[in-house]
Amino acid sequence: MTEDKSGRTFWARLASWGPYHALMRLTTASPRRQFLILAAFPILWVLSQHLGPMLQMLRVSLTDAYPVAPGVEQHFTLDNYGRFFGDSIFWMPFFRTLIFAGVFTFCTLIITYPVAYFLARHVSRKNQMLLLLLLLIPFWVGEIVRTYAIMILLGNTGAVNLALKTLGLIDRPIPFMYTSFSMGVGIVYLTALYMLLPLYSSLEKLPKSMNEAAADLGAGAWTRFRRVSLPLTIEGISSGCTLVFLISTGFYATPVLLGGPSTTVFAETIAGFFHVAGDEWPTGAAFATIMFAAALAITATFQKLMNALRKGDKK
Amino acid sequence: MNDRPEVFRGNRIFLACIYWAFVLYVFVPLILMVLMGFKDSNFIGFPIKSWTLDWYTGVFADAEVLSTFGYSVAIAVLSTLISIFVGTWIAVLLEGRKFWGRTLLFGLAVLPALVPGIISAIAFRIYARWLGIEPGMGAIVWAHAVHNVPFVVLVVMARLSTLPKSQIEAARDLGADPLISFIRVTLPYLVPAILGASIFCLLLSFDDFVRSFFLGGYEPTLPVLIFAKLRSGMSPEINAIATVALFLTAAIGIWAERFTRRMNKEN
Amino acid sequence: MTDQTTPLVRIEGLSKHFGETVALNNLTLDIARGEFVTFLGPSGCGKSTTLRILGGFERPTTGRVILDGEDVTNQPPEKRHVNMVFQDYALFPHMTVAQNVAFGLELKGMRKSEIQRRSAEIMSFLELESYATRYPAQLSGGQRQRVALARALAPDPALLLLDEPLGALDAKLRGQVQQELKSIQRRTHKTFFFVTHDQEEALTMSDRIVVMNKGKVEQDGTPEELYFRPASRFVAEFIGETNLLSGRMRGSDGDKIVMDWEGTTLLGKAPAGVPGEGQPITASVRLEKLGFSAERPQTANAVQGRVVAKTFLGSRMAMQIAVGENGALLKAYVDADTGQSLGSDPVWIGWEPDNMAVLND
Repeated sequence: MTEDKSGRTFWARLASWGPYHALMRLTTASPRRQFLILAAFPILWVLSQHLGPMLQMLRVSLTDAYPVAPGVEQHFTLDNYGRFFGDSIFWMPFFRTLIFAGVFTFCTLIITYPVAYFLARHVSRKNQMLLLLLLLIPFWVGEIVRTYAIMILLGNTGAVNLALKTLGLIDRPIPFMYTSFSMGVGIVYLTALYMLLPLYSSLEKLPKSMNEAAADLGAGAWTRFRRVSLPLTIEGISSGCTLVFLISTGFYATPVLLGGPSTTVFAETIAGFFHVAGDEWPTGAAFATIMFAAALAITATFQKLMNALRKGDKK
Repeated sequence: MNDRPEVFRGNRIFLACIYWAFVLYVFVPLILMVLMGFKDSNFIGFPIKSWTLDWYTGVFADAEVLSTFGYSVAIAVLSTLISIFVGTWIAVLLEGRKFWGRTLLFGLAVLPALVPGIISAIAFRIYARWLGIEPGMGAIVWAHAVHNVPFVVLVVMARLSTLPKSQIEAARDLGADPLISFIRVTLPYLVPAILGASIFCLLLSFDDFVRSFFLGGYEPTLPVLIFAKLRSGMSPEINAIATVALFLTAAIGIWAERFTRRMNKEN
Repeated sequence: MTDQTTPLVRIEGLSKHFGETVALNNLTLDIARGEFVTFLGPSGCGKSTTLRILGGFERPTTGRVILDGEDVTNQPPEKRHVNMVFQDYALFPHMTVAQNVAFGLELKGMRKSEIQRRSAEIMSFLELESYATRYPAQLSGGQRQRVALARALAPDPALLLLDEPLGALDAKLRGQVQQELKSIQRRTHKTFFFVTHDQEEALTMSDRIVVMNKGKVEQDGTPEELYFRPASRFVAEFIGETNLLSGRMRGSDGDKIVMDWEGTTLLGKAPAGVPGEGQPITASVRLEKLGFSAERPQTANAVQGRVVAKTFLGSRMAMQIAVGENGALLKAYVDADTGQSLGSDPVWIGWEPDNMAVLND
């Protein structure tokens, strides 16, 4: 606390300082006004910064020229959306992306579920945090560095091929790289954490006694999993899958680095419209809008389905 | 674990194997990448026959790489400051009294975290153009700040929900106006959450590629530099750069994890 | 302003609605200076709402609060000369005991030297000097409670609000703190507004108890009045243990009421409004006011009965006695020796009319 001549503390002086006092009187005159002043900035920010970019993208996608050159008039058009359906070079990557994202999400789920299950159910509380932290460390490392690590792992002279060769299983290296396989390994690597954490937290909430009760009633390991753990962790599965699916559709650098010509994803198609100069932005915006709408529609349907499943189970 | 029934032991060994296999999956690629940075050859690949530190000395002598480091760190710090300010404000509003449209506002507040990377990047690119922000540092800082706000909102809201209402009432009762009670009672309570969220934002920003790539000017951030170098061919030099970045982020991450845990324990 | 004859607090027609529910219904009440007044009632009776309105944390739907002659109904908490001890104490965890105590003084605009003097004074008054540099997490429940009290008393409030501050303490400590609190109130001459649902606590400490139920005042009086002359069935049942005798009004005899109960004629103290003849009425007799004897006692009220159950409680015994043809049950406390001597023979039970209050409802 700083002290002035009067010996009063900073806060007391601030509270009685004329302009501050007047400001507080003005802003807190009624609970309603105080609330409006508190709420104004967040509302403005969220509308202009969170919603604004999405709306502006939508608006640009409906025009024929952007950025607008001087002397050129901007018109409303749906042509950008028409272009998408007109050429397989556009919609092929689109469907490929959705299918890939779906498959990769499923793979992530299959791989991380036993890991989360082990952590939540078979490890003592003290070790749980330690073993979980161990898994978190690699996830602090960025997308590009981790993608590069996969390139080194799967290359023709990479660790996997070297190991297979040393074991005498192969004579010539298997070309893992630049295929949907290498892409999948990379994307699962990047997204695993976003699946693992929701699964872990929903599994952790289950009382351990529940499994024992099921075993007591004569349920085998598989039945216990299918009838007890799985239905009760649908919430975690649902939010983990939603998150991983949305993230998977948005990868750009990883498919560029790990994928090949036959695995071009829609992100690369969209990016293409922003690399070339000229008036291709509206098309790019339209394609991005299509992508976002599709991703949202799929995840929303998926969540509805999972909810129905959960409710069905409760009956 | 000794009190668990015998029937569960078989599962446990099986699941433990899966866990450790998964640990290998997430660690081995990074370990190999680090090792490759010590290879005494221009050619990336195994086996490594001789070792060198030259690539590392090269990295620390390379003015471009060093300035890129600084550039990335500056962007991370600036965008984090903005995210923390905005995110905390939004969290305070959302955790306060109920009001019409609160759920909607929450949805909008976390929206940037749910938009897939490429779409978020080009939406920001278009919006920056519309606002008149030139590609470059300002644009990247802005995009990172907006993108990271949801994480701050979630972390701060979680902490705020555990602050007893009586704490604020006590401060008001003792003569503090709403702003002074916020600064002297709420804010100190939020410190662990704000620190944790700051570290998270710093790392998200430092590691971000797609937004930095689409909103950047001539000067690359570190991930963009690595990406550019990779496109023109793999080299142990890239491993050395990536390794430095890796240790920096992992160290900050681990430190933050331990720090926030200690803070939580104290309270 | 400092006129000692006017009440410190005037509550005028206070109501509070939360949506459809009425938490407080048209409360009008004065609180005198230096009074220890307790608002007693079950949860949801409106006692906490009253306290929160006095503290400035809620605004009433209708009505006014006048503090020291000034209408404070719409003043925020920071402007009122009222301080509060919270149920969970609400000590600031990041401040030491001394900083907690100084918080209110600081914002009052006191000089630093003055703050130090006053904090030291209040901390020594509550025997907290040795904890000055500790944090709340390092204190026991009783110590935290004292710190909360010190923090609220430090700014020298006109009115101190206490929101069930003993609820978090264990039973043994609670009794001790009750004595302490009462003595602190005496020594500081402060007006205490205490809220609790614990009738024993209220009886021990208060000068005056206001029993609340469903947003309204059931009875307002000294602990003795409430205990021995409950005005309603609710008060009789809420405070202490009692026998409720349902009978029929027969007539009045001076300030006494004559009633029929289980074939016997009883005399009791009359309530404010005398019910009509032949009306069903209820009377209340405390358990410890019933006397036992082998022969018919000299008391105005006497009935004969049979002991049906005994419960040993250490220094005393709880008895259940069946009375009359229908076997109506009376409960009574007797000392352990008397209790043991009572067998299955019929006994006489007697009590004076002054110890039986005829209730209003």
